[in-house]
Amino acid sequence: MSSGFASKDKAVSLSELVALVPDGASLGLGGSFLHRGPFAFVRELIRQEKRNIEIIKQSPGYDIDILCRAGVAARARCGIVAMEGNFGLAPGYRRAVEQGHLKLEEHACASLTAGLRAAAFGVPFMPCGGLHGSDLVRINGWKAIDDPYGSGATTYVIPAIAPDFAVIHASSVDRQGNVRVAGTSHWDRIMTRAAKSVLVVAEEVSDEPFADQPELTVVPYFMVRNYAIVKHGAWPGSCWPFYPIDYPAVQAYLEDGAEALARHLDAAPEMATRAEARQHG
Amino acid sequence: MAEQWSGFSYIVTNLARFIRPHEITFSGVNSTPPMLACLLAKRAYDWDFVYINVAGGVDPEPSAIPVSSSDPLLAEGSASIFANEDFYDLCTRGRMDLTFLGAAQLDGSGCANNSCIGEWAHPKVRLPGGGGGAVMLPTARRACTWRTEHSKRTLVEKLDFVTSWGGMHGVVTPIAVFVKRDGKLALQSWHPESSLDEVRQRTGFGFDATGAGPTAPPTARERAALQSLDPQGQFERDAAIRLR
Repeated sequence: MSSGFASKDKAVSLSELVALVPDGASLGLGGSFLHRGPFAFVRELIRQEKRNIEIIKQSPGYDIDILCRAGVAARARCGIVAMEGNFGLAPGYRRAVEQGHLKLEEHACASLTAGLRAAAFGVPFMPCGGLHGSDLVRINGWKAIDDPYGSGATTYVIPAIAPDFAVIHASSVDRQGNVRVAGTSHWDRIMTRAAKSVLVVAEEVSDEPFADQPELTVVPYFMVRNYAIVKHGAWPGSCWPFYPIDYPAVQAYLEDGAEALARHLDAAPEMATRAEARQHG
Repeated sequence: MAEQWSGFSYIVTNLARFIRPHEITFSGVNSTPPMLACLLAKRAYDWDFVYINVAGGVDPEPSAIPVSSSDPLLAEGSASIFANEDFYDLCTRGRMDLTFLGAAQLDGSGCANNSCIGEWAHPKVRLPGGGGGAVMLPTARRACTWRTEHSKRTLVEKLDFVTSWGGMHGVVTPIAVFVKRDGKLALQSWHPESSLDEVRQRTGFGFDATGAGPTAPPTARERAALQSLDPQGQFERDAAIRLR
């Protein structure tokens, strides 16, 4: 059996992509706060009523908040969680932690990255600079080791973190499933190397020959299990350079109650795509 | 009567004054005041510095000033993308001259709690978390922060949780500027419409105030730069910062 995903026929629908995720899986999500997160994928997790999902992301916000609100997320490893901008704390996440519904492993962003690097590099743990004096060391039971080469320096080491899936929202893919991201890739690169497989939601299939500028490809097709195309899939967040944050939609999402959540899910762009597919199908 | 120098302008301007010529200076997520401070410093001061940010920008020239301090607009005009792993690694290898970090609670040595109010395992309030803090505060050459509320619940004798250790170099509140001296936060100056007495009354930790006096008012160029960044006063209204 091949170690990668050698097939060049990877296009599936969003619901087929999400159906690959079993209850209890750990998901490393791409993007940062309201920027280029795999939000259509996250909403589909809710529609498919996934349970006991672990979220791994340095700076989640809307994604973890809505998954807490819908009872999908049960565990999380993250560094900072907020809606950002003028919205402040993520209320669904906050409530879930305070009420004991979400088991949190609190990291610094860089310690989470160190754990992902350990998995990506194929070693059991990875040194991480800093962390001295932080209570995070105590609550996580992180160990420090002396430099075996005798510099006298002491470094904390973080155990490997290997998500079952990395899920990223990309600017475009080519037909084979090579992945391009415009602007910053945040932590998507290390996330895809650490995870056991990669699921991609992209704005579009590009007909450009990616071989003309291979350096723009962040993830090669053989690492990608499957991809789905969802135009505007990072809504209500941004996807540079296509669209900015939809602030009124974030505001509406933050209204309390099950009805507000249902309205938000129904207003999502992937619902329009689905309706269109049914008409043409 | 409205104050002559708003708390919002006081914080942004005094954060900008911590930036030094030629230094590599970083501004992160959830950090509107330092984002504005970096942009203000670029416009108000004669010297240059290397401004990097969490959107991957290096000396960007954003076409608009975003509400989100991690917005991709902050990489517009940047000739490279210096992404998240890059700036953390830069910091841990000792080459981040100045980083701005957020804090919910600060103690007298400038350590920060961003995690919880109450006990970590059973928090009364779960806060966002420290992001880069635990790694950046002890490894950056200097780190500075701000609090929009100056009170005994934000500036405390003992933190509920030490998210980040290592001590801020500088702290700005709506009424005061502290700097690290001999490992402790010392008062550098107070808002011209406040006083040493008021700062003492509203601060939970003891501090040295040797040599402190009223903060120098904003220069014409500092005022003009902030005005150009926030022409409609929207950032100022959204921040809703009050002296008292």
